Amino acid sequence: MLLSTSLLFLMLSAWAQRTVTGQVTSSDDGSAIPGVNVVLKGTTSGTITDFDGNYRLEVPEAGGTLVFTFIGLLSQQTVIGSRSIIDVSMDSDLAELDEIVVTGYGTQEKKEVTSAVTSVKAKDFNRGMVNNPVQLIQGKVGGLTVVKPGGDPNGNYTLRLRGVSTFGANASPLIVIDGVIGGSLNTVDPNDIASMDVLKDGSAAAIYGSRGSAGVIIITTKTGKIGKATVEYNGSIAFENVANSIEFMDAAEYRALPGAVDLGSTTDWLDEVTDTGVSQIHNVSLSGGTESTTYRASVNVRDVTGVGINSGYDQINTRLNLTQKALNDRMKINVNLSLTSKDSEYGFKESFRYAIAGNPTLPVRQDANANGVTAGPETGGYAERDIYDFYNPVSISEQNINNGTDLRLLGSAKIDYDFSDFVDGLSAAVFFSEQRQTDERGQYYAKTSKFVGAGPNGNGGRSFQGQENKLFETTFNYNKVIGGTDLTFLAGYSYQEFFNEGFSMSGSDFLTDAFTYNNMGASLDFPNGLGSVSSYANSNKLIAFFGRVNLNFSDNYFVSASVRQEGSSRFGADNKWGMFPAVSAGVNLDNILNISGVDQLKLRASFGITGAQPGESYLSLRRYGPSGSFYYGGAYVPSYGPQSNPNPDLKWEEKAEIDFGVDFSVMNGKLSGSFDWYKRTTSDLLFLIDVPVPPNLYSQTWKNVGEMTNTGIEITLNYDVVNNGTFSYSTGLNFATFKTIIDKLEVSPLYQGAMGAPGQSATRLSRVVVGEELGQIWLPVYDKPDPATGSPLMKDLNGDGVDCACNEDRALAGNGLPDFTVGWNNSLSFGNFDLNIFFRGAFGHDILNSYRGFYENYGGTEIANWNIVKGPGLDPELKGALVNDTHVEAGDFIKLDNATLGYTLPIGDNNVGFRNMRIFLSIQNAFVLTGYSGIDPEVRYIDIEGNNALAPGIERRNTYFTTRTVSAGINIGF
Amino acid sequence: MKNILDKKFYVMLLGLLFFAPACTDLEEELYSDVTDENFFQTDDEFISALGGAYSSFYGIGNHSNLWSSNELSSDELVVTHKGGDWYDGGILLALHDHTWTPDNGFFNNTWGFLYGGINTCNRLIAQFGALESENSAAYVNELRAIRAIFYMWAMDAFGNIPLVVGFSDDVPKNDANFQTGRTAVYNFVASELTEVVTTLDAQVGGNAYARVNQATAYAALAKLYLNAEVYTGTPKWTEAKAAVDAIEAFGSYSLAGDYKSNFSIENSGSTENIFVVPYDKVFAGGFNWVMMTLAYPSANVFELTEQPWNGYSTVEEFYNSYIDTVNNPGPVVAQWRGLAEFDPAGDLKTPNGRGTNDLRISNFLVGPQLTPAGTIAEDPAFDADDPDGTGLNFTPAINEIQPNGHRQAGARIGKYAYEQGGTANMSNDFVVFRWGDMKLVRAEANHRLGNSAAALAEVNEIRARAGVTAFTVLTDENLLAERGREMFAELSRRQDLIRFGKFTEGAAWWAKESSDAKYNVFPIPQPQIDVNSSLTQNPGY
Repeated sequence: MLLSTSLLFLMLSAWAQRTVTGQVTSSDDGSAIPGVNVVLKGTTSGTITDFDGNYRLEVPEAGGTLVFTFIGLLSQQTVIGSRSIIDVSMDSDLAELDEIVVTGYGTQEKKEVTSAVTSVKAKDFNRGMVNNPVQLIQGKVGGLTVVKPGGDPNGNYTLRLRGVSTFGANASPLIVIDGVIGGSLNTVDPNDIASMDVLKDGSAAAIYGSRGSAGVIIITTKTGKIGKATVEYNGSIAFENVANSIEFMDAAEYRALPGAVDLGSTTDWLDEVTDTGVSQIHNVSLSGGTESTTYRASVNVRDVTGVGINSGYDQINTRLNLTQKALNDRMKINVNLSLTSKDSEYGFKESFRYAIAGNPTLPVRQDANANGVTAGPETGGYAERDIYDFYNPVSISEQNINNGTDLRLLGSAKIDYDFSDFVDGLSAAVFFSEQRQTDERGQYYAKTSKFVGAGPNGNGGRSFQGQENKLFETTFNYNKVIGGTDLTFLAGYSYQEFFNEGFSMSGSDFLTDAFTYNNMGASLDFPNGLGSVSSYANSNKLIAFFGRVNLNFSDNYFVSASVRQEGSSRFGADNKWGMFPAVSAGVNLDNILNISGVDQLKLRASFGITGAQPGESYLSLRRYGPSGSFYYGGAYVPSYGPQSNPNPDLKWEEKAEIDFGVDFSVMNGKLSGSFDWYKRTTSDLLFLIDVPVPPNLYSQTWKNVGEMTNTGIEITLNYDVVNNGTFSYSTGLNFATFKTIIDKLEVSPLYQGAMGAPGQSATRLSRVVVGEELGQIWLPVYDKPDPATGSPLMKDLNGDGVDCACNEDRALAGNGLPDFTVGWNNSLSFGNFDLNIFFRGAFGHDILNSYRGFYENYGGTEIANWNIVKGPGLDPELKGALVNDTHVEAGDFIKLDNATLGYTLPIGDNNVGFRNMRIFLSIQNAFVLTGYSGIDPEVRYIDIEGNNALAPGIERRNTYFTTRTVSAGINIGF
Repeated sequence: MKNILDKKFYVMLLGLLFFAPACTDLEEELYSDVTDENFFQTDDEFISALGGAYSSFYGIGNHSNLWSSNELSSDELVVTHKGGDWYDGGILLALHDHTWTPDNGFFNNTWGFLYGGINTCNRLIAQFGALESENSAAYVNELRAIRAIFYMWAMDAFGNIPLVVGFSDDVPKNDANFQTGRTAVYNFVASELTEVVTTLDAQVGGNAYARVNQATAYAALAKLYLNAEVYTGTPKWTEAKAAVDAIEAFGSYSLAGDYKSNFSIENSGSTENIFVVPYDKVFAGGFNWVMMTLAYPSANVFELTEQPWNGYSTVEEFYNSYIDTVNNPGPVVAQWRGLAEFDPAGDLKTPNGRGTNDLRISNFLVGPQLTPAGTIAEDPAFDADDPDGTGLNFTPAINEIQPNGHRQAGARIGKYAYEQGGTANMSNDFVVFRWGDMKLVRAEANHRLGNSAAALAEVNEIRARAGVTAFTVLTDENLLAERGREMFAELSRRQDLIRFGKFTEGAAWWAKESSDAKYNVFPIPQPQIDVNSSLTQNPGY
């Protein structure tokens, strides 16, 4: 090689030469681009641009053609002619980036994709105050629902892909961050994300085998580009206010009630427990690179304050991405490192509950006992009432603390080696990653807080949880073109180890509140034997072998087949291994048939099997542990007994999914879209289910209990209405339907969820029954108030003459799961202004409004102790609380989720060196159109009381109020 | 030359990558649990394993378990529906007026408690039986006696139940013979206890405290034979008497001078208690009556660390069975803290304006509840139509069972002393069998056998200790009533009422009419039938 170059050089130098110089700049912003390859076409003569984008090249006297190439930019050719200075402006190759779809263990061009995959790029992300990566694609991907009922800044998002895919196993899509399987969303700042790719169907997800059943979301972070170093700054400030609570009586209305307990004050509890939340976000990133090394580093700071007093968090996240080539560019080493530290004030959702249920004539503070109010130094000056189930909501939030510190560390390294000189088309990679999460928590309930603290004379708790996720993978890639067929092979091995550990302590009886949770040794509970201390550790492993082949027959026909043989330590000895195959195919009809006016018409079909493992380890083993103490020989000694019913037969939950899809583009790309129909059958559903006692020791065991089928369609449409240079308008719509039927169930019907105290703990709320849809809200049917007492009377449905207060005497009151969801995006730009308006809605789901089930009546107890909710069913004749079908309401809603107006400053050339500057104003949750009378009509996939996926559609009393956020920000690049 | 180097390098690199997947080991590694492989190694571990059987008893003091099901279905205790509180789908009202259904959660909890204990014993008998240790035989016999007690309760509660003595995870499918009938279980309990009784520890108290010793097994036999006619149709009065005689032969048990000392916080010194569940707020939680019966403001009376639930109160008629205005019209005496001093002149604060000399009135908390500062605890949640105002005052009278039972209505359970500054878990040892009960068992056996004088004498011993005048004649009625007063809330009343034919048909009490005889046994819990094809529901349910 060296020899031949030298020869060439000698030969060339024999000819007449002249010099061409010039500068290469970006057409985007005019900035110089270093590292651009400049080659004289047809020769090996070439150079690269320097740091300022300048180049100098000897060319033959006769000239020729210069070829400029650079990754991420469109290649460009220029005939030299007689010029000696040739400046070039290069366009970025947006189209190319757009057409790349990230799939498991690789990327594909969009035209080659044969399964249902939706790729969302940064430019299409949601805007405004986005604190969690999943907010970026909320509503953007048909079939993926992302919900967080209420406006809790520390709340978690619930993700469901194509509805509910499982009962008890992990129902959230698998998150893969830059190759790290099971990466934590908290390790990534939304500003650092380049794209999110959602693998929806079974064939796409099957390469992730055991954890692909709920779909896969692949997050790719931004990387440095070869070229001039750039700095980006994004900053915003947001103001958040309560958008919606629930209608309840004010002091005047309450006083007018018969039996009202007038405590002499007029208090707006809602106002007392909330405040405007002011939040700031700052992101700075540096990036750049040379031919051999690229880098990107970023720092993200978030200071978020929720509307609930004393709730919010401070977070700092840093990320470093380095890529370096070595060994004559045959080796590529990529290192990713991310660190997140988050200090949270969780606050107390109970303060919302008691703000709604609190007597509006109770003062917030009072000096001494009077009027049936307990107050004074022993309550911290807050007004309390010695009744059941009421605590001064301001006292809850102000006197007690509930804090946490979370650390997230994610490091990964990948070495790619190109074996092309050994075997053409062969490359291999080794990947290693480690993620560590530590969550520290501290709570303290003051001696003067009736809520928890006063009874035990102050109560504190500390806990720590650590999670470790280590992944080691090797992969081989092999490309080969045989005739017109392009073959791509992938083979790999994956070893992943998880380790969890935790420690917690809680104790009461403190001399002073001064320590809060920082001096737990001061709790007298420990010397008195009443404190509690615990620790635990557990681990599990996943080992897999996988392979895939992709075939591309002359860009017309595509076939992909894969298999993953995966073992999990969590199953019994004979059931550890599972096999997850997939096959998919696509045909580009537009190429074959050449239909006029059709730019793309691809038909797809796929089939894939994915799996799910239980959320706990050791379920197949008989384990012993302490189970209290017993009296032996005059003293207490520990009792040891089994911890659960072991199930050595526990095996993989499997989901088989078929998907048929069409991707199309017509009118020169103005109208494009896709359509998918799927049917997924999940068998051997894992669930903690009732078992007979005897022979079992405990009444529930983790078992494979049943089968269910989901069907649905997904439609995505994009239409560029106008684009004339100065004004453009494009609109996009996605629509998805869901239906889940239970096919088999070991115990049917299953009754789930319970209304709760006071007085309704035994009332079940949901039913799961074979042959019918999942998500049933199953309740007594309201008849009328008892003419004598005003108690709510229920209808006798089973005809035995009485309402038996049993599950049989009840009926279907609604379904907590949606029938369909809609996302509608509108992007407009006019000159330097851009406007984005995004609507999101869910339809067909019902919600049980728990507040109404407790407080929407004129019962003597309700009036004397609490406040009355002014729901649609309030009836002066009704004097008692009993949850029933009338408390279930349609949850259909459509909301203006986000509207953002941006203005790009025409800074042009400037001496300061700014490349771009944009300011924006954004509003989130601007308005909601719904008939629902509760706090938030969002779909409730999980019952937060009991964390139960089989009791969806329940709005519990501890729901954080919804919020509306207005934010303003600036993006600067230089 | 260079090519060769390249090839070697590549082959080495590929080889490394190829052999990396060597690890396919999926064994689970445990950190905070032990398994059969590393447990049962030392003597201490054997003892701790035995403890599993004893820990099974701790459910007895919980809400909605065996004790609750028995007492709330009898005429002793009731949980009224108090406005927004304690409706719970009507399951508590159904327990009181005998309209319960198989899906009432109390029954499944009771079943789980009983068979949890039985299964633990089955498991340990199998595990200990397989060991060739000196102690294991003794442990196995002790476990058989414990199992027999659980079976006795289970057969008493549910009637026709499965008799499972082995240890396996298998469920027989559609096995019509899975339930063996009440008589078979009765016979099993009788023969097991008889067989092992002499091998058990003969010691009384000391190291045998809170263990199933010989006296405990005899006491269980006494209770079993007492109800034999109910269980099998054949009375066993002589056998019941003999079992009590066998306990007396130890010479260690006597009536405590002070009735309530048997139920004090430190009641381990009682000479009367035969078998107890040794609750302790630190070591052995689960005795929750303090939460179940006291009112919310009682937290200020007893300075409790948690707010009680205001559930269980005494049926007024039952409370009144202690009040004897003709023979024992004494003043109401002060009981433990929390029960106020009464005005001897008898104003509204005295229950019904009457008193009693029966010291066992200490079974209840009635009257105004005073805080340590000596003032009446304020109850902001008092009912507007409650005649005695905002001060917390437990009145024996209950205005109505539903829907608006007064929050302060009903005498509360005061049987076990409440600890000042206590937690939700009481430290009193729960009395399962005691000598006072045994004396009444023997008296009843004598009464049935026609030995009237012996019967009367023994009942009058009990009455004398209670500070009330002697009976001159013993009848079914006054014997049942005496058992009621003596054994209040001791897991006895339902059995007694059934044995005397006063539980279902023809038996009515406040807010409960005559009920069908099917309610003499509880239904097999619906959740068990749902998951076990071999279970058949009891007749009539």
